[in-house]
Amino acid sequence: MTDAPAADLSLTPRQKIFEGGFPYWHEVVLALLLAALMAVAGYLDPRFVQPSRQLMLSTHVWELALLALPMTFIIVTGGIDLSVGSMIALSGVVLGLSHEAGMNIWLCCALAILTGTAAGALNGVFVSFVRVHPLIVTLATLSAYRGIAEGISSGRPLSGFPENFAWLGRGDIAGVPVAAIIFVVAAIVAGVVLWKTPFGRSLYAMGYNETATRFSGIRTRKIKFILYAMSGVAAAVAAILLVGRRNTAKADIGAQMELDVITAVVLGGTSIFGGRGRILGTVLGVLLIHETKEFVSWYFQNDPLIPLVVGALLIVAVLINSALTPRGRE
Amino acid sequence: MPDALEQIFIEVRDISKAYGGVQALSGVSMTIVPGEVHALCGENGAGKSTLIKVLSGSVTPDAGAVLVNRTPLRVGDVAASERAGIAVIHQESVAFPHLSAFDNIFVGREPRKLGGLMLDRARMCRETRALLERLGEADAFDPAAPVGGLSVAQRQMVGMARALSHDCRLLIMDEPTASLSERETRVLFNLIRQLKQSGVSILYVSHRLDEVFALSDRVTVFRDGKFVATHVTREIDKEKLIQLMVGRELISTDARLSDTSFSRGVHPARPPLLEVRNLTRASAFRDVSFDVRAGEIVGVAGLVGAGRSEVARVIFGVDRADSGEVIVDGKRLAGGSVREAIEREVALVPEDRQHLGLVLQLAVAANLTLAKLNSLTTLGLISSRKERALVAELMKSLHVKAASPAVAAQTLSGGNQQKLVVGKWLASRPRVLILDEPTRGVDVAAKADVHRLVRELADQGMATLLISSDLPEVLAMSDRILVMRGGRIAGELSRDEATQEKVLALAIPGGSETAGAGAAA
Amino acid sequence: MTTLARTESPGIAILGLLKQLARQREWSVAALIALTIVIVAIVNRDFLSLDVARNILVAAAPAAIVGCGLTFVIVTGEIDISVGSLMGLCAVAMGQLASPSYANLPVPAAIGLMLLLATSVGFLNGLLVTVGRVPSIIVTLGMLTALRGATELLMNGRWITDLSPGLRFFGTGTFLRVPISLWTTGVVVMASIVLARDTPLGRRIYAVGSSPSAARLAGLSPNRIKLFAFTLTGFLVGVATLVSVPQLSTIESGIGAGFELVVVTAVVVGGTSISGGKGAIIGTLLGVILLGMVRTVLIFLKLGPAATYWERAIQGGFILLAVLIDHLSRPRGRGEEEHA
Repeated sequence: MTDAPAADLSLTPRQKIFEGGFPYWHEVVLALLLAALMAVAGYLDPRFVQPSRQLMLSTHVWELALLALPMTFIIVTGGIDLSVGSMIALSGVVLGLSHEAGMNIWLCCALAILTGTAAGALNGVFVSFVRVHPLIVTLATLSAYRGIAEGISSGRPLSGFPENFAWLGRGDIAGVPVAAIIFVVAAIVAGVVLWKTPFGRSLYAMGYNETATRFSGIRTRKIKFILYAMSGVAAAVAAILLVGRRNTAKADIGAQMELDVITAVVLGGTSIFGGRGRILGTVLGVLLIHETKEFVSWYFQNDPLIPLVVGALLIVAVLINSALTPRGRE
Repeated sequence: MPDALEQIFIEVRDISKAYGGVQALSGVSMTIVPGEVHALCGENGAGKSTLIKVLSGSVTPDAGAVLVNRTPLRVGDVAASERAGIAVIHQESVAFPHLSAFDNIFVGREPRKLGGLMLDRARMCRETRALLERLGEADAFDPAAPVGGLSVAQRQMVGMARALSHDCRLLIMDEPTASLSERETRVLFNLIRQLKQSGVSILYVSHRLDEVFALSDRVTVFRDGKFVATHVTREIDKEKLIQLMVGRELISTDARLSDTSFSRGVHPARPPLLEVRNLTRASAFRDVSFDVRAGEIVGVAGLVGAGRSEVARVIFGVDRADSGEVIVDGKRLAGGSVREAIEREVALVPEDRQHLGLVLQLAVAANLTLAKLNSLTTLGLISSRKERALVAELMKSLHVKAASPAVAAQTLSGGNQQKLVVGKWLASRPRVLILDEPTRGVDVAAKADVHRLVRELADQGMATLLISSDLPEVLAMSDRILVMRGGRIAGELSRDEATQEKVLALAIPGGSETAGAGAAA
Repeated sequence: MTTLARTESPGIAILGLLKQLARQREWSVAALIALTIVIVAIVNRDFLSLDVARNILVAAAPAAIVGCGLTFVIVTGEIDISVGSLMGLCAVAMGQLASPSYANLPVPAAIGLMLLLATSVGFLNGLLVTVGRVPSIIVTLGMLTALRGATELLMNGRWITDLSPGLRFFGTGTFLRVPISLWTTGVVVMASIVLARDTPLGRRIYAVGSSPSAARLAGLSPNRIKLFAFTLTGFLVGVATLVSVPQLSTIESGIGAGFELVVVTAVVVGGTSISGGKGAIIGTLLGVILLGMVRTVLIFLKLGPAATYWERAIQGGFILLAVLIDHLSRPRGRGEEEHA
């Protein structure tokens, strides 16, 4: 019966606007898990947690981390992009072929980014304007893009890139890997966009109820189109880093990467049904998966164990999450 | 009927149920006798829906019992309730949209053959036909077609057929006429009377008090989860019933005479803000033309399916017109874009607020500011100071009853949710406001609040188009009334000449079915 | 309404009919298959032979068998993307159980245990989705990864080459000159069609997908029905493994990689709605055939050795084509709210 008094409106933005109470428990749990993992790892083998070792291992994570940012946006809107791995392959192969054809390497990079953007934009067209379920669209392009990469390269490895290009994938600035700098900048921008801008708020609203959001004057279709195109851009950048690091482009690069990316995002607390998720959670999810993988591989020297552990980690994390969520909320 | 009162079919005894901290029902009791139409009234949040869920077995009460013919019913068990002969036809009418009427009627209790392994289709067909004949609508529709393509009335028919198919003794109807046209409502009432004749009891839940008085033998009132009273309907009047529901005297907007504050002249001097010229969308309506002036409320009456909501959707850019134009403040809309409509300051409060009007899981505050986020930013980032200020202002002027602006919109009652939808547009101060069934399923007090708001907005110069199936509402609120029939504007009535009878005469295809059918094609 | 016909020219009427046909996805897929066959036959007469047809069908058999189960899963509104990894695990388990250099069990015992394993994993998927309330895409994504890891652990980089002849029979044997795998596929498809159309359980599967809340109100248990669909899919993966893997000369841990994509794609191309409630076994079967014939078609078109590299691109293109046809045939207007 009380009209809410104005003094009671102590909304710290976004946090209270959504659920009320302390909203970061998922991130806390992830951080604790990560700390526990590192503690156990450090106890079992102190060499694993040495900064130099960690830095070396981190080269494997940046592409994954970069792709997880647009994926978080997309999953927050209730969508999904299964084609990221294939877009990496396509952009990478375009990079390799154009270099083989004698183009300037930076022009090749631009072409690769253009390819990734176009591939992502095509997903976006099908999702937002043809209005097909994103699972189906990106399942189709998962096959199609990798198929095109295989087709245009006939499955050949393409190599012989110049040294200054490899710097992007392998080099560092004052000891910090170039890839890491790219990721950190992207993550901060993504985090602020999701947290504080009308665009970010629209993504949450869309994730819960797209039609009502559109009826509020928000251009939901354009937003979706932009998100999928962004995913393509991120895939192209990841491809450049990956090709630079390995000095080879082949149609099989980035295979199954979509699984790791989605696993990291979901582990990070983003709801697969949309409406919930944060960049901080995604970053922690990426780190947790990365450290788990590297530790299992380092300590047990047994690679097949990695997928087993990662798969179990995903299911158990979401199982716990759903057990803690009160029933009856679909 | 009077002697039937002696034998009680269903007795609800001291039922209580709490959701989280909210006590939805506290110790309610009531009885239902065979062959009666028992109306259940109360504002939203009075506990009607919870009682329905308890009776149908989809909710287990915390305390209390339900007795069927003096034997306790196993509560919280859908199958037990079905066996006891209790069936529910829900607001949105139970339906599997992808399945045929056959399957909808029999799913869960399919007639079987070959040792129970296979469906007995022949029997399903036979029984469906018999059921539809019993409902007097044998050839209303094709029972093999997916029900997703049927009208709401037809889907309800399927629901009733389902109820009858398992020897239903108590049929619970939750706001059955909410989406029905006047004609369909009359058909429904006939069906209800027939069922009653055959000894079926009906628990009838409705906000439409006229229907309660037209149909029911007895009426029970709940308020805030508590039992208030049961009366023989003949023995009380509307004012008394409303008083029981709200617990205090209330100035009714349904009663037109008390609305002196709302009766004002039209404003011929003011320019039209919304002009609709020969608007046609072949599948729904054609050649629709009208104006709405600044400060004017134009009511749109008509049967469901007359094309009213469809006109609203085209004006708001959800659907595209085949021909004709929409002019806002002298400038033509390109059409087909919600964004464009909003930029030209047109707002729509849609018919289906839960799905189209609100993001239920978001906070009250986030819903209120959703349409206006871009104006709340500093350097591109949402300013919490600006947002807080706007939300505080809106919640005050809307009288929204919410624990805090941070709670999810879904925790609010229907009436308060509707205030949020209106409030969302209040924030952006549109010049043209289209309201589509703004008070459907809204309780009496919130209804009055919504009416007051709409009137205030109009007084500030907003051009308002009010689409409503609630005739008293249209008559009370509108400066002018357009009546639609079969996709065309059948006539226009001024405030002074409009009466319920005149509106209905225009709205109902008076025997000349062909005119309506031709236009609808 | 019949008034429509009066005003329309014949041309528009024919277009309308085509749209009507396209709305039934089975027909548009069947038309695509027919069109492909005609074009390839014009280029290369050899394509029209029973051997080619048999090879295409035998290659498509495992996807058809699993597709039947997956159609039910998707109709209930869930999804299972773990079938490829499960097939790998089943193949390796069956191989190790029956192989003389491992457990060396009698063939029937090995088959029985493998089918039990497959069914149990399906059941576990179902349990996690229903009781555990974990979204099916997550459960089966986790399983996709985890089961592959388990398979690799079991094989440890080795191969099984000494498969017993008794097991080989299921892959390469024939009955009345038709391969065992095709008989099996026929039985599974027929049984699934009957299950979907003519049994109470089948109707309930569709009911649950169409509206879970209404299903609950009708006294059905969506959880039990979903559990059934997942378990059935697991079992059918076992069956598919049994009739396809023994065709291979070696069993290694990579078997079935990417299989889930083929099956999901085929089901979706066949017209099953990813949001549940709608779908038909016959559509899935046609989808499997359409996708399965791509490689053979590429070979018969004689486009040179590099042509088969385009197989996946064309398969992906087919899905986009199918959804585009759907989009163009969809009635305009009110379809704003929902996805295909």
